[in-house]
Amino acid sequence: MMFSSLSSQHSAFPFAVSSPSRKAVPPSETRCRYVPVRSAPPSMAPHGFGRGHRLTGGLSVGRKRRLVRFMEGISLWMAMLLVLFVQPLYAEANTDNEDSAGTLHFLDGKGQWQEPALVLGSDFDVRVSGLIADSKLVRTFKNTSDDWREGVFVFPLPEKASVYGLTMKVGGRTIVGEVQPRAEAKKTYEAARDSGRHAATVEQQRPNLFTTRVANIPPGAEVSVELSYQQLVSYRDGVFELSVPTTLTPRYIPGESLAVAPQQWQGGWAVPTTEVLDADAISPFTVDVDDVAADSHRASVKFTIDAGLPLAQVFSPSHQVATQQDGQVVTVEPQAGDIVMNRDFVIRWQPFAGQEPGAAVFHQQWQGEDYLLAMLVPGRAGKTRLPRELTFVIDTSGSMAGESIRQAREALQLGLETLVPGDRFNVIQFNSQPHALFMQPEMATANNLARARQYVNGLKADGGTEMASALTLALQGQGKSAGEMPEDAARVRQVVFMTDGAVGNESALFSQIRRQLGDHRLFTVAIGSAPNMHFMREAARWGRGSYTSVQDLADMSGPLARLFAAMEAPVMTDIQVTWPGQSAAVMEDSFPQRPGDLFQGEPLLQVVRGVAPAGKLRVSGRLPGGGSWQQSLDLQQAASGTGLNRYWAREKIDSLLDDARIEGQEPDKERITKLAVAHNLMSPYTSFVAVDKTPVRAAESALLKDNLPTLLPAGSQPGMARYPQTATFAPLMIALGLLGLMLSAAIVLLQRRAYP
Amino acid sequence: MSRSLLLLITSSAMLLVFGLWVPIKAVVAQELLEIAWAESQARQTESRPWPWADTWPVAKLSMPELGDSMIVLAGVHGESLAFGPGQMMGGNGTETAVVIAGHRDTHFRPLKYLEPGNELRLQGRDGRWQGYRVSATRIVDSRSEFIDTHKLPAGTLLLVTCYPFDSMDAGGPLRYVVEAQVDDTARLADKEDDHSSVLYSQAILDEIDTVAGL
Repeated sequence: MMFSSLSSQHSAFPFAVSSPSRKAVPPSETRCRYVPVRSAPPSMAPHGFGRGHRLTGGLSVGRKRRLVRFMEGISLWMAMLLVLFVQPLYAEANTDNEDSAGTLHFLDGKGQWQEPALVLGSDFDVRVSGLIADSKLVRTFKNTSDDWREGVFVFPLPEKASVYGLTMKVGGRTIVGEVQPRAEAKKTYEAARDSGRHAATVEQQRPNLFTTRVANIPPGAEVSVELSYQQLVSYRDGVFELSVPTTLTPRYIPGESLAVAPQQWQGGWAVPTTEVLDADAISPFTVDVDDVAADSHRASVKFTIDAGLPLAQVFSPSHQVATQQDGQVVTVEPQAGDIVMNRDFVIRWQPFAGQEPGAAVFHQQWQGEDYLLAMLVPGRAGKTRLPRELTFVIDTSGSMAGESIRQAREALQLGLETLVPGDRFNVIQFNSQPHALFMQPEMATANNLARARQYVNGLKADGGTEMASALTLALQGQGKSAGEMPEDAARVRQVVFMTDGAVGNESALFSQIRRQLGDHRLFTVAIGSAPNMHFMREAARWGRGSYTSVQDLADMSGPLARLFAAMEAPVMTDIQVTWPGQSAAVMEDSFPQRPGDLFQGEPLLQVVRGVAPAGKLRVSGRLPGGGSWQQSLDLQQAASGTGLNRYWAREKIDSLLDDARIEGQEPDKERITKLAVAHNLMSPYTSFVAVDKTPVRAAESALLKDNLPTLLPAGSQPGMARYPQTATFAPLMIALGLLGLMLSAAIVLLQRRAYP
Repeated sequence: MSRSLLLLITSSAMLLVFGLWVPIKAVVAQELLEIAWAESQARQTESRPWPWADTWPVAKLSMPELGDSMIVLAGVHGESLAFGPGQMMGGNGTETAVVIAGHRDTHFRPLKYLEPGNELRLQGRDGRWQGYRVSATRIVDSRSEFIDTHKLPAGTLLLVTCYPFDSMDAGGPLRYVVEAQVDDTARLADKEDDHSSVLYSQAILDEIDTVAGL
């Protein structure tokens, strides 16, 4: 400590010239003198050191002696300088560990940066069978430090994933986790953590956002956590699609901060606000790929696809993939080996033209109960085009900066192209506030379209994501224009919402959409490398529209063309599903209970419990012209499937949560918990926890917590500013310069002394 | 032998000169910036301190307890930081947060003497001084923490510089952050100073014309 107090006095010394505090402000007349010298200073500096050059010339003995004395003086002076200059550095190194315990965990004695202690590896093994994809996700936490660590990692899963298993592997042993009510699981985990046992837990924060915690990772060892989950393959327009999210776009957290202190500085995590109470749990720190260890945040991915029918092609719009076919089973792996987890992995497969399935039925018996999953693609209905009123809403918040806003602009331009004379349209952008191009929707004239194109081209991404006010603006005005002209009443009102869905208050927005929708239909277009697909799907569902996602600029026109075609085509409404042996219990247990409207190319999916695979499933609906439409499906043809019970349970839980939202009540927590435990599922109220029996960490060794960051989605710009680089090489150069001069002076002296 | 010695001497001297050049430039530039600052206050425009400069003065920062003041430039790129602390974000008055970054080797060296409770003053282009009071100093790791520009409350002033102050490593990840909040009592006490500074800038106007004439 003596040294440190010394250092604070002396360390300023070499910089005395630089410190503005030592410089008296000259009176104003003298200032003008500086003006002509503007470019002069460089010539001043070398001047004083020119003397060194004369040393090697031939000199008389007397002058030599004088020179030697002079050199001795000079080197003594420089040695003094150097000591003063270097001394604080040693002092700094010595005092580092004592006075700043909390902030300098990652520093070693010399003040050097150390790599984050935990290295994260992921391994996805996805097996597709028919319509259900079953995944095993292994997360490996490798502790590279000398301390015991607790790892915390927030990660996304597909938006309709049912998580049904957790196993922890440590040192060759496997510990199977179990489902417990959320609070209980947390207690179990914390007790195990504090008593020094191996433990792992996974919690659901949002339907597509989870947190895993792993306690007591031994120094230099590895703990892996295997998560089993299943999801439904999406099928539309003859193409199957599966997406594996690997990271998340940082969510915007609206509302006032709840924390009393103005800044909590929780290592970059957001603090809870009035509108998002769990903000700290869903906003992991996002970093660039370069900021994590070279082998961290890499994932190996393997897909095994058994589609049940011959496939024409398997491809990925997001990654380069290598496929291998073995009969009907196709194995897909990324060409580059391990992928960086900064972009959703999307894979699509397509049957041969003309062989696209129009219907499918799967059956499973689980604990004596029958479960049926049916898919039906309605045939194409005739085309009757109605004049439309189209409102494009584009997200120009900070999270859209970079590649995303370019995608969104491009998508909007494509959308503008679908307008025909007779349509009305408007463009609304929003960030912290919404802004509309026109006061009211305008006719799609060449003039207005040109204005819109110009407006769209000028859009820039910056600011917050206050979605609520934008939705209000987009969904308003139906009462106003209805009175204007009779033909306006027949207009189809559609809202196209282009966003990355990076918001933390999803639930409030869904309620708002439901309240304000009126006769509008809301279509969502997911933008970016890691959009919030849960938001896209649910917003479209509450908005009675459909959703689509674009992966990159090259891939954009395909999905968007399909969306815009679907928007133009008539919609089948009032869809009724009748299962054989219609009973109240069956009605209660078939999901979704109120099938939404069907757009062209969209399949109808139904899952039911308690219906044997016999008889016929009847589906009927109404066309916009007033005509009716009917189709039936023979259930006897059902193929056997797996995991249907979990899919059913997840749908049941979602439906219970929906009912609660519609009625504005608290969800039936007990019922959901019971259901989730029975089917061994993760839910908002149940978590997985795995605990080892014997303690491994001695009580006296400390456990350090390590929040693992997630990667910033590819192509997006960080919404937060980085701390700038605020040091120069000047001290280093001064020290090296002094050292070099001293060394040469010493050499000169030695030479003179040795051979006089 | 003598040739390599000569080489060693010249290269060391060069290093020393380049090393010293940075603080010299920082000091000299501040003098030129004083003139440009007075000129931009008088004309209420961005006035560049020298014709080829790609930055301009935006504020004047004063640390009364340390008897130190400096002109703050726009932007935090290397070009502006070499001449003075740079303003990363923020602008007019107390409506937004202000973040200023400076080199720890030159202008922001005194930052380490700032303590909670110390007063800071920031003068805008309109000549008005805004008082701030240091509320905290922290050391952050720039690799695991960013400045969340949307979340900073209005009326915050952040001064950022590299840490540790005596390190040789120019690329270190640590930053020293001084956090200050608007303090109107500090401002009231300086009403007089505020007034004189406006007068001062008015008085300097004629002189500026001659400068511009050069």
